Amino acid sequence: MKISIDWLKEFVDLNISSQKVADILTMLGLEAEYGTNYSNIDGLIVGEIKECTKHPNADRLTLCKVFNGKKTLSVVCGAPNVDKGQKIAYAPVGTTLPGEVTISKVKIRGEVSEGMICSERELKISDEHDGIMILNQQAKVGSNFNNYVKSLNNTLELDITPNRPDCFSHLGVSRDLSAKLNKTLKPFDADPIPYKKNEAEKYISLKFENPDDCPRYIAGIVKNVKVGPSPDWLVNRLESIGQRSINNLVDISNFVMMELGQPTHIFDYDKLNSKQILIRRGKKGESLTTLDEIKRNVSPNELLITNGKSPLALAGIMGGLDSAVSAQTKTILIESAYFDAPTIRKGAKSLGMSTDASKRFERGADPNASESAFWRVIKLIEDLSIGDWVPGMVDPYPKKLIETQISLSREKLDSLSGVKIKSDFVHDILNKIGCNVNNKSENQWLCDIPSWRPDLERDVDLIEEIIRFYGYDKIPSKYHYQSIMNANEPDPHKCLDKIISIMAGLGFSQVFNNSLQSKDIISLLKIKSVKIMNPLSDTMSELRTSLFPGLLENIDFNYKNNNPDIMIFEWGNIYKQNKPGLKGIQEKLVISGVVHGYLNKPTVHRKKGRRFNFNVLKGSVKNLMDRLSIKNLTFNQTKNKADGLINCFEIQSNNHQLGFIGKVDTIFSDKMHLDINEVFGFQLDLDLLMELANKTPLFNSIVSYPLVERDLNFVLEENILIGSLLSTVKENGNDILKSVDPINIFRHNSLGNNKKSVTINLVFQSSTKTLEDKDVNHVIDEIIRVISNEYGAKLR
Amino acid sequence: MNLKESIESVRNNFRTDSDPFPTDSKSIELLYVKYLGRKGLVSDLFSQLINVSNKERPSIGKNLNQLKKEITNSFKIVDRSSSNIDSIEEDYTLPGLSFPTGYIHPLQQTMNEIKTIFMNVGFSIAYGPEIDDDFHNFGALNFPPEHPARDMQDTFFIDPDTVLRTHTSNVQIHLMENEEPPLRYIVPGRVYRNEAISFKSYCLFHQVEGIYVDKNVSFADHKGILEFFVKRMFGEQTKMRFRPSFFPFTEPSAEVDIWSEKSGQWLEILGSGMVDPEVFKSVNIDPDIWQGFAFGMGIERICMLKYEIDDIRLLYQGDMRFLEQF
Repeated sequence: MKISIDWLKEFVDLNISSQKVADILTMLGLEAEYGTNYSNIDGLIVGEIKECTKHPNADRLTLCKVFNGKKTLSVVCGAPNVDKGQKIAYAPVGTTLPGEVTISKVKIRGEVSEGMICSERELKISDEHDGIMILNQQAKVGSNFNNYVKSLNNTLELDITPNRPDCFSHLGVSRDLSAKLNKTLKPFDADPIPYKKNEAEKYISLKFENPDDCPRYIAGIVKNVKVGPSPDWLVNRLESIGQRSINNLVDISNFVMMELGQPTHIFDYDKLNSKQILIRRGKKGESLTTLDEIKRNVSPNELLITNGKSPLALAGIMGGLDSAVSAQTKTILIESAYFDAPTIRKGAKSLGMSTDASKRFERGADPNASESAFWRVIKLIEDLSIGDWVPGMVDPYPKKLIETQISLSREKLDSLSGVKIKSDFVHDILNKIGCNVNNKSENQWLCDIPSWRPDLERDVDLIEEIIRFYGYDKIPSKYHYQSIMNANEPDPHKCLDKIISIMAGLGFSQVFNNSLQSKDIISLLKIKSVKIMNPLSDTMSELRTSLFPGLLENIDFNYKNNNPDIMIFEWGNIYKQNKPGLKGIQEKLVISGVVHGYLNKPTVHRKKGRRFNFNVLKGSVKNLMDRLSIKNLTFNQTKNKADGLINCFEIQSNNHQLGFIGKVDTIFSDKMHLDINEVFGFQLDLDLLMELANKTPLFNSIVSYPLVERDLNFVLEENILIGSLLSTVKENGNDILKSVDPINIFRHNSLGNNKKSVTINLVFQSSTKTLEDKDVNHVIDEIIRVISNEYGAKLR
Repeated sequence: MNLKESIESVRNNFRTDSDPFPTDSKSIELLYVKYLGRKGLVSDLFSQLINVSNKERPSIGKNLNQLKKEITNSFKIVDRSSSNIDSIEEDYTLPGLSFPTGYIHPLQQTMNEIKTIFMNVGFSIAYGPEIDDDFHNFGALNFPPEHPARDMQDTFFIDPDTVLRTHTSNVQIHLMENEEPPLRYIVPGRVYRNEAISFKSYCLFHQVEGIYVDKNVSFADHKGILEFFVKRMFGEQTKMRFRPSFFPFTEPSAEVDIWSEKSGQWLEILGSGMVDPEVFKSVNIDPDIWQGFAFGMGIERICMLKYEIDDIRLLYQGDMRFLEQF
C-alpha cells in the first residue's frame, strides 16, 4: 500500500527524513520501502503532448507536438502508449541522459525531432521500458522534472502483514509512528453533527437476514448533489498515493478510506427502487453487474446489499453498476458498514475478486470507524458544498462489538521477552497504541483493547506490542540452556553424508530434480502414483515413482550442451498410492545413479577410452558397499523389469533387498523425446542403506603370514557365466582361499568353436601358519575337479 | 645344462621374446602360455627342482620364484582386455591424468552446513512426511480456515484434506505430539508451493525449520541462537537485524535480514518468533508451563546468497557446468 508522508503529517509532526520514517516503520513491523534510484538530470522538464499524429514514413513512430510551457516543439516518439493530453518527461535538445547520451536535434525518417519523451528506464527510475513515463495530471508543465520526482518520492510503499488491518490507513500508520516517536496523535474532525430530528429514517430503513454477517450498517442521505470534479487538494492527495480522481463523491469515499481505513459506498438513492435495504446472502441463479461492468453470478457464499428483491452491491467488495453515482445523480445514500471478516473473505475468494474495500474488510475492520467515517464523509460533502445532508442517520447496530480486556503479568513479560522492561515504558506504550491501562501496577496490567485492533486477543499479543516498540534490536542476545536434550541420534541421516561423499569420490555428481512429473511419463511404470488435485500444469501433475526420468533429463540437458559423459546421482523420495487416502501413500527414500557415455576419454596417458557399461556401474555399487562395510553382496538377475530397468539385477546383502541395477529402459527416453544413448542405472533403498551403514565395522586382526597366489586357466563353453564359475570356486575353496578374480578372458580358433579361455587368480592365506605347497595343492586339485565336472572345463 | 643355467636361459629368452612386448591380445596370450602356462617353460623348470640336491634347492628355488615373479609382473603392466598398452610417458610437464570426480550439490553443502551449525548448539535433527493432512500442515499451526495459504492457488492438494506440505513445520507438530518437552530440533526437508517457475521461484524448495521448547526460553535466547547461526553461516562481520513481522504460528514474530554490501540493501533470510500458545494447545502442551521459539528458512535462498547464484532453476537442472563450480 502507498502512504504519503505529507498526508501522515496531518496526524503526526514529522521533522525527520522520509528514509528515516521508512526505517522506523520497518523496525515496527510495517515493512516500508522508500524512494527510487533516480538522480537529478539537468534540463529535464515536464511537458505536455498537445497533438499526436502518425509518422508518415514509419508505422511504429508517432509525431508529437510537445508544449514545454513556452512553446510547442516537434518530437518523434516510438512508444506505443503515447497519447494526446499526457504529461510527460521531456528531455530538450542538449540534455544528457544517464549513459552519457546527449539529445540533439535530428531528422528521423525525414521528420524533425527536437528532444525526447523518456521512459522510466531511460531516466534510471525503474526497468520499465514498455512505454514512456506518464506523469500525474497535476504535474506543472515547464517545471523542473526533478521537483516532480521529489514530490512523487514523498510516498512509502508499505507491506502490511495480515494481522494489522488498522494500518491500511494513514491514521493507523500515524498511530504507530506517533507512539514510537513519542509525539501526540493530532485529532481529526469526525465528530457527529448534532441534529434535532432524524429525517434520514423517512428515506431508508434496514433489515438484516443475519446480523452475524453484518454486525453494523450505517446509512445516511444527501440531497441535491452536484456530481463534478474534485478540488485540487483532493485530487493531489489521491494522486500522491497513485489513486485516480473520478468525481467529487467517489473521491471523498476513497479519501476517507485511505485516511481512516474504513471503506464507504455511495449509492444513487433514486436507483435503489426501494426505501428498505435488505442485507442477505446471495441466492443460486442470482447475478449482479458490478462497477467494473462484469456480470457476476452470485451464490450463498456472497453477502449482498439488496433492495429486498434484486442485488444492489456485493457487500464489502464492490458496488453494482445500476445503482452507481452518475452525472445525473440527485440524491445519494452513503453506506458505512462493518461486515464480518470471514464472510467477506469467503465471498471475495469465491468470486476471485480483491478490491481496496475487500482487503480491509476481510482482515477485520473497526465497527466504531464505521461511524467516524460516516461523519467524515458527510463533513467533506458539506465542506465542498456538494449537496444537502438530510439530518440524521440510520444505525441499527444489531450485533454490538464486545469490548475486550487483556491482563498481562510482569512475570510473563519478563520470561517471554528475556529482558526487563521498565513499567513506565510498558504503561506508556500500551496507552499510546490505544490499549488503555486501567490500573497503575508494577506487576500486572489490565488493558482495554481498542476496536481497531482485532489482532490483540491474548497477553502474548500485548508482549509483541511492547517489545516491538521497545525495539527488537535493543533486546539482548542470549545463549542460555537449561536442559540437555534427550535425543539418541543427533541426525538420523548422518550416514547420508557418508554415502554422498563416497558417491562423489567414485566420480558421481549430485543433482536435485523436481518431484512433480507428467502423467505420461509416470504411467510408463505400472506403479500407482499420487496425483495432484490442482497441478500447475500437465507436465507436473503427479509425484514421481522413480528418480530415473529426472536423471535422464539431466543427461539429455548435458548431452545437448556438449557434455555427453555423465555420472550423476540423486537422493530423494519416490511416492506410491498403495491404497486410497493419506494412509495409503508411501513415501520411500531412495538413491539412484546413472552413467552415460565414456568413463575415460582417450588421453596421452591412456590411449583407448572406456565407455560406461553395466560392469563399470556394478563396480561402483560394489565400491560403495565396501566403503559402507555392507558385506556379502550378490547381484541376481531378475526376470521382471523392475522400476524401469531392463537386464535387471537385484542387489542383495544377507537377505536384505538393497535395490536394483541394470540398463535403463528406453521407454523413458522415447516418450520424453530425449536425445541420449545407452544409460545404466541403479536404485537403492536409502533408508535401508543408512541403517546398514550405521553399524560400526569391527577390526579384524591383520594376518602377517604370506599370501600364496596361483593362476588357473580353464577352457570353457562360451555360454558359461563367469559369475557362476567364480561362486563355485569360492564354495570349494575352503577357508584358506581369500579371493578369486578373473584376470583374463581369451577367445581364439585354436580353442575350438564357442569356447573361451578364462584365467582366474586365486589367493590363499592362512591366519595360523605359512602355507606350503601341500596345503594349497589339494585345494586347487579339488577346485579343478569340481570345475571340470560341473562345467566340462579343461585346464589349459 | 644344469637347472641354474636353464633358469638363466629361460630368463634371457623371455627378454628377447618380450622386447618389444606384443601389443595384440593373441600374441600376449601365446607368450603367456609359452612361459607361464601349465605346461610352459617356468612350470617345466619347477618340475626339475626335485632333481636338485637338498643343499642347492633353497637358493635355486628362490631364483626360480624370482624368475616367475619377473615374468608375471611383465604381464601385469599390460591391459589384458585391450590391445593397447598404457603408454608410460616420462615427460613430467604433461598434464596429469585426471580421475572421474564427483561434485556435491551446493544445496546439499548448504544443508549440511546449516545442520552442523545447529548441531553445534545442541539441536537434534528430525525428518517427516512430505505429504500430510490439513491438521499438521495448517490447523495445528493456527492457520485460520480461510487463510490464503490454504487456497488452491498457493498449495498443492492431493485431496481436500491432504496437501504437499508447504513448510516442514508439520514435523514440529508430529514431534510435539510424540515427545514431551523440553525439545530442541531442526527439521530439514522438501516443501512445495503452487507457484509458477521463474528465476526466483520454483514449485518446490527445501527448508530448515527449528523449534526449541523449554520452561524459560525467551525472545532473547531466540535472538542469541539465530545470531550465532547467521554469523557462522555468513561470517562474523555480517550485519543483521531482527524486525517485527507476522506468522500465524508465532507471537511475537520476527524476520531476520542481513545486509548485502553488494546490492546495498537488507535481504530477508528467515522468519522466526515465539511459538504461539495456540500451537501448544493443539498438541496438548500447556502454554502456561512451556514456551519456546521456532524459525524457518529456505535452504535455496541461503545457498543462492552464499554462492551468489542468481537463478533458482540452476539448482534443479543437473547442468554439469553449474555443478562443477562447487
